[in-house]
Amino acid sequence: MASKTIKVDYLTRVEGEGALNLEISGGRVTSAQLKIFEPPRFFEAFLRGRSYAEVPDIVARICGICPIAYQMSAVHAIESAFGASPGGEIRVLRRLIYCGEWIASHALHVAMLHAPDFLGFPDAIQMAREHGDIVRNGLALKKAGNGLMRVLGGREIHPVSVKAGGFHRVPTRSELAPMAETLKRARDIAVDLVRWTAGLPFPEFEQDYEFVALRHPGEYPFNEGRLVSSRGIDIAIADYETEFEERQVAHSTALHSVVKRRGAYHVGPLARYALNFDLLPGHVQALAREAGLGPVCRNPFQSIIVRAIEIVYACDEALRLIADYEPPAEAAVKLEPCESTGFGCTEAPRGICWHRYEFDADGTIRRVRIVPPTSQNQPSIEADLMAVAGTIVDRTDDEIRHRCEQTIRNYDPCISCSTHFLKLSIRRS
Amino acid sequence: MTEPGAARKVLVACIGNPDRGDDGIGALVAEKLAGMLAAGAALLVRSGDMFSLIEDCAGFDALVCVDAAAPMGVPGRIHRIDLATGELPGELLAASTHGFGLADAIGLARSLACAPPDIVICGIEGSCFDAGAPMTPEIAAAAEEAAALVADEVRRLQERAEG
Repeated sequence: MASKTIKVDYLTRVEGEGALNLEISGGRVTSAQLKIFEPPRFFEAFLRGRSYAEVPDIVARICGICPIAYQMSAVHAIESAFGASPGGEIRVLRRLIYCGEWIASHALHVAMLHAPDFLGFPDAIQMAREHGDIVRNGLALKKAGNGLMRVLGGREIHPVSVKAGGFHRVPTRSELAPMAETLKRARDIAVDLVRWTAGLPFPEFEQDYEFVALRHPGEYPFNEGRLVSSRGIDIAIADYETEFEERQVAHSTALHSVVKRRGAYHVGPLARYALNFDLLPGHVQALAREAGLGPVCRNPFQSIIVRAIEIVYACDEALRLIADYEPPAEAAVKLEPCESTGFGCTEAPRGICWHRYEFDADGTIRRVRIVPPTSQNQPSIEADLMAVAGTIVDRTDDEIRHRCEQTIRNYDPCISCSTHFLKLSIRRS
Repeated sequence: MTEPGAARKVLVACIGNPDRGDDGIGALVAEKLAGMLAAGAALLVRSGDMFSLIEDCAGFDALVCVDAAAPMGVPGRIHRIDLATGELPGELLAASTHGFGLADAIGLARSLACAPPDIVICGIEGSCFDAGAPMTPEIAAAAEEAAALVADEVRRLQERAEG
């Protein structure tokens, strides 16, 4: 068979700009490179010399879809550096605002970005003509999640209320109460969405991933926990760099993260679900089983079901937190800066978002390291592309291209965060 | 929708991110529109989530969108596109700083049958959309003229006969 290169110049329905080059030689895939050509954004560099107090507002700008993830990892890192640990209702509100981000981000991906792949539509606009109810429901869920972020964060994109130590302002019970009715409706919509996604046509495909996620003793993880993996890693978040490292690759402006001893690993909904299934409420576990999933799902195409399940969980969790909420006496704890290093790791919708900050005695930032979820997943995405394309090398370039784009979208990649969009080239020889 | 005989409900949506150079022209036109809009017209400024526009415009009879347009050689040139008589050229509004832009939002609202019957776009040609960049003087200078055109458009749309 002749050699051939298939290119996707700009991948649609992902956040950011990138391209894919696929090389096929002798009837097998010899190379799959996800090329991120979005220029580096230097957030870690321009945080140097800034005050710790500026961090939440600056890191929120890394991403318009998951600003809470960056803010949460940052404030936990700052607080761990300065020996503070806000608990009680501040902890509750942080979990609650994270529920809002998961609901909004997952709803956007499930109903608007990923679903068209399974139904043969080029985009949500075309899909809406035949599946208007699904798109409307996706918009309603997104609105519910955005509402939570607006009430707690002041606005849904780049929220402004989060600060190191807590919040600039916390909501009253009466401000949160109307959200409960919205979330009850959202929960019902999300349950229907799980059942609908379960009926989509999924390719027969599984990968033996090393899943990595946070694990908390008593709750499905958002803000806290140890870093665990399906192959035995069980470490404090401060020890991340002992097990994981970022590597530069020539074809991408985003770094690739690997487990030092083994290589690619997988973060995000599939990993969280596999490593924390027992921490989901019984009715959510039952819903997952009804959708055809066991406690571990290794088919990345079925991540759309897992995201829908996580929307249900986030709605339930938000309702529980709102029901029990009592405003704290103080919106934030006072921090005493000191020369120190702090670590934060929380579960962004796309997976763990790890931060390390080194401070001078007055709280000025000396050095920062931020590891976003998409850069951690890039080696896994490329491994999936090799494997998926390997099963369909005899098909037309258009078919290969479509399936490869879908494979990338399984990860809901946020390319903007990891350095934006896809060019796919397939080369056959 | 509006009762027969009453003025039609018109929404003016000024779109763009003021932190990205000429993408801030929507917000600047909104400032200039203060006190200029006919009674009963609604004004909103959107800096990010285009999906919200789909719900924002539900229940209105007409929508006027003010947004930066892609560079086409004449920075500050104002393009009026009446979707009752023409199609929305995607490339003109491709300068959105978000993957899901105004053309997508209007297309989705139409697919969902929740778009107002009348939609007029006021697109102002930009030049530089870099993060943190100041607005190009030619673009800023077009804001007052654009505001006056939008105010006239609102009056016309309020009086336009249904059907």
